[in-house]
Amino acid sequence: MAPSSLSHRQTHNLLLISKLLSLRDTASPLTLLLDSLEQPATPLIKEYIRRARLSKVHVTLIAFEALKPYDGVDAFVPARRKAPTEIMREVAAAYKPDSSNSPNRRRLILIDSINPLLHSTRLDRSFHLSSFLSSFIVPSGPTTSKPDTSLVVTFHQDVPGRPAQSPYTPSPLSLLTYLATTVIKLHSFSHILAQKAARDRSLVPPVFGLEEEQDGVLLGRLDKPVGKGTEAGGVVLEMEYRRKSGRGVLEWYLLPPASKYPATQLKEIVTLLDDHPLYRPPEDLGDANGDEEPESTFELRLTERQRRDREGVVLPYFDAQQGNGPGEGGRILYDMGEEDDFDEEEDEI
Amino acid sequence: MSFRKRNIGLSTGADRTPAATSASQPQPERAVSSPTATPGVRPSPDDGRPTTSTGSPSLDNLLAGHGGLPIGKTLLIEENGTTDFAGALLRYYSAEGVVQDQKVHVIGMPQQWGRTLPGLIGPAEAADEKSDKRKGERMKIAWRYERLGEFGAGVAGARAPAVTLGDSSPSSMDDSLAKPAFCHAFDLTKRLTHPSIGNITYIPIVPTNEPLLVSIQKKLQAIIASSPPHITHRIVIPSFLNPTLYPPEVGQPENVLPFLHSLRALASSPTSRVTAMMTIPLSLFPRSSGLVRWMEILSDGVIELCPFPHSSDALSTSGAATSHEEPPQGMLKTHKLPVLHERGGGSDQNIGQDWAFTLSRRKFEIKPFSLPPADGDQEAQSQARSDKMPKKEDLEF
Amino acid sequence: MPSQPPLPHLLTPYISTPPRESLTAVSSVVGATGNWLILRFLYAALTDAGLRGVEGERKRKVVLGLDLARLTERREFAFVDGLSELFCGPTASAPSRAPSQHLASGPTPRTTLPTRPHPGITSLRQPPPPSAGSDGPPQITKDAGQVKRLRLSGNGAAALDALERDITAVIKQLKASGLGEDEESEVSLIVDQPDLLLAATGPSKGIGATEMAEWIIGLQQAATATVATISADSPLIHNASASAHHIATPLETEHAAFAIGLAHRAEMVMQLRNLETGAARDVSGVLRVSKGGAWGQRDSAGQETWEEKEVLYFVQRDGSVSVFGRGE
Repeated sequence: MAPSSLSHRQTHNLLLISKLLSLRDTASPLTLLLDSLEQPATPLIKEYIRRARLSKVHVTLIAFEALKPYDGVDAFVPARRKAPTEIMREVAAAYKPDSSNSPNRRRLILIDSINPLLHSTRLDRSFHLSSFLSSFIVPSGPTTSKPDTSLVVTFHQDVPGRPAQSPYTPSPLSLLTYLATTVIKLHSFSHILAQKAARDRSLVPPVFGLEEEQDGVLLGRLDKPVGKGTEAGGVVLEMEYRRKSGRGVLEWYLLPPASKYPATQLKEIVTLLDDHPLYRPPEDLGDANGDEEPESTFELRLTERQRRDREGVVLPYFDAQQGNGPGEGGRILYDMGEEDDFDEEEDEI
Repeated sequence: MSFRKRNIGLSTGADRTPAATSASQPQPERAVSSPTATPGVRPSPDDGRPTTSTGSPSLDNLLAGHGGLPIGKTLLIEENGTTDFAGALLRYYSAEGVVQDQKVHVIGMPQQWGRTLPGLIGPAEAADEKSDKRKGERMKIAWRYERLGEFGAGVAGARAPAVTLGDSSPSSMDDSLAKPAFCHAFDLTKRLTHPSIGNITYIPIVPTNEPLLVSIQKKLQAIIASSPPHITHRIVIPSFLNPTLYPPEVGQPENVLPFLHSLRALASSPTSRVTAMMTIPLSLFPRSSGLVRWMEILSDGVIELCPFPHSSDALSTSGAATSHEEPPQGMLKTHKLPVLHERGGGSDQNIGQDWAFTLSRRKFEIKPFSLPPADGDQEAQSQARSDKMPKKEDLEF
Repeated sequence: MPSQPPLPHLLTPYISTPPRESLTAVSSVVGATGNWLILRFLYAALTDAGLRGVEGERKRKVVLGLDLARLTERREFAFVDGLSELFCGPTASAPSRAPSQHLASGPTPRTTLPTRPHPGITSLRQPPPPSAGSDGPPQITKDAGQVKRLRLSGNGAAALDALERDITAVIKQLKASGLGEDEESEVSLIVDQPDLLLAATGPSKGIGATEMAEWIIGLQQAATATVATISADSPLIHNASASAHHIATPLETEHAAFAIGLAHRAEMVMQLRNLETGAARDVSGVLRVSKGGAWGQRDSAGQETWEEKEVLYFVQRDGSVSVFGRGE
């Protein structure tokens, strides 16, 4: 990749993730986090909350799983045994735009896991996932100032769902990924590294945890005593962002462990996965440091002038296409230069 | 046991069901006063818990050093294919219960099933007498198979009273009365005739207004609750869930699992002495299904029989089949053993062993399995010789 | 083998003090059961000298050094019986007692709730005398009136609610017995195989994975820290996965959803399994301690630092357990 396009991608996509995680401009009303036991969404959710606090965004947590709110959550709505309408009511009541406040305080609503709701036996046919989710985002009723709301929903990919009541309805996961404006799939960095290392050797990439399908194994993760505390920590975010135009942006990022930066840090901490030295060692970048040439007894490269000269050569088949009749054309047309040591007897034209 | 007529059960004299035989029993006082003398129940050599025999010495020895099925435990025997080796084990188990004057409850089978119980030969130790004599000559090489010690020289044999063949003196007879046999030998080709065979209760599968298994469970519970506390019960469930016996809705987890759970509660109730053994056809309910796995979780012991698909004739002509011994008829796997796996598993030296079983008319034998070398395959035969696994003829004790 | 300490030192950091409001999931398979581990949890909780509010009394009478009957009398331990009458229904032959009758008798700071017999309690004890079977009940259930017996009746959430009420009532009594101080005692709750409830009922009875998870949340809210055991046998977990080749039964789907969901909600997941290389004579199984999905959610996380680890364990005939690394 040309250095210019890489740096363009770098700038653009880093700005994008920064905008998304910091909820600026309501860039993504509905974000879907796809996590698994191998890489839970907790670090990313904490990062959302951290940024929300820095920019004074009101945070509501709808908890289908958590007993207690995460640190930094403004409103906690336990969803245990509650009907969807009840949850909607409580969430609406959790934040009243106050005139004394700055009028446009933004709002972040987190759902810690949508799976229990989707799996519930109590849901009747009148429940529609799309209207449930949009009720949090889209202003309903005549309320004048509904704050800009971003909804972040976590879905555990490894929890099996119940077969659909009707075989013709799309699965909840398909529906969620279709509705979401941003889909972030989480991977463990050490797993990504292990899989890349295997692919680089043309081996079958390893699988972890439940995917091993081993009797008695739910979780494959193990802090490696060596890798612990080194750069291998962190979460890989596989992001798909859908613009309003419909065009999508795909990018892989790395979110470093929370211990690597202070909670008040404003500078962007997420990097492109490709920029990480462990994922893409510097020598592979090639063009980025093209000035340093490997030392060798053979000079394999061309100087700028040699390259120009080579491009100037008219190859025989161009001559052959001139159409001067059969037997004509196909000559090697060559302008002799000063370097050429022409010998009348040996060389023939 | 030359002093007794075959096929008539030994009247051990102790602890009969009062309703059945109370009038004709002159000597039960001693036995009742000392619970250790309860027929068919003895303390486990492992931890002293009371155990009772499965009617098959080989199976008794497999049960994690207890030398029998501990009271209060349930055993699930799974069988692949369409054979009925598991049914033979159940018949031994039932016959042993009859002979020991225990209360046998058979679920889902008609009265005729009781008539198929194998005939009594005598105490299991006596039946092994002949092989014991043969074994003597081989004892000098026994050290080589030291690690097999606990299995082969099983606890049932080791602790048994010494009864010598042909010794019919009154003192010997007294001995056998004072220390009644724990396990008996049966002959599958004969029919058991025993005074207390009529005491078997049959709980039929008949439609009721309750769910079927609930009514069966209640009947069991009522019978056991109403019997005197010193009675030992055996619950026998042949071919559980088999669609030719049970209506299809019984196979729903919400029917099966509460039943097994209640059965387990019934068995482990401190106020009664219950053991249970059931068989299930794996061809219909494979082990890879969640339902069967739950049944295993709810059972104290799980044993899987994998009969060899080919006929035993083919095997018997191979060089491995020795002249005096039946070839193995299948593999046996222990997935879970009573008490051992409750504790955490693993410390039993039989664990992880490959077992083969052989059903002959007189016994169900479980032996360590080794692949026989093929005929004329010199390489395999030399390998087999150097193999750590001894040939099975060497393993007979 | 030399005698083992009741609490293998390799395990101590993982089971001694489960953090407040935490859920610990213990998963097991048929060949590698978890009772020995649950016993160690009990031991760690009941001998913990730092038992807040109650002075931990050290009793070394029974195997493992715990005299549970005595602790029950001392109101430091309560046993809720989920085996005896769980499926007896409302018209069982055993006389049903009003719940309030038992509640007065069981206030102790530690509760355990098995839905199957708790061999951790019964089987690891001294061998019962050979006379057992007459009228000598096991030690824990010495007095049936002392032990709350659970009984499932009805369908759906209502049935679970009734069970939850029974259990939380016991927990509340224990909490209130904190030596008369204002401060409540801490109660560790051990829920043994709640997945049985799910397997034996299922969605057709209005109980699915979500309802079970909510039930556990309800119990968690009543207790200080919770340990739950689940089965993780392959058919129960993987038959329902997307890569399975046949349609999973509702039992398998619900079980997998419940068990995996529980691991997502747990801070620590302790997984027991068989050796991959087959059974061995001196190894009972493998224990892997992993960080569950909820690890790191609490703000105080990081205070208790522990590393994920995989060890082998061996349960000896006397019930003692040695824990060691591979190759040690």
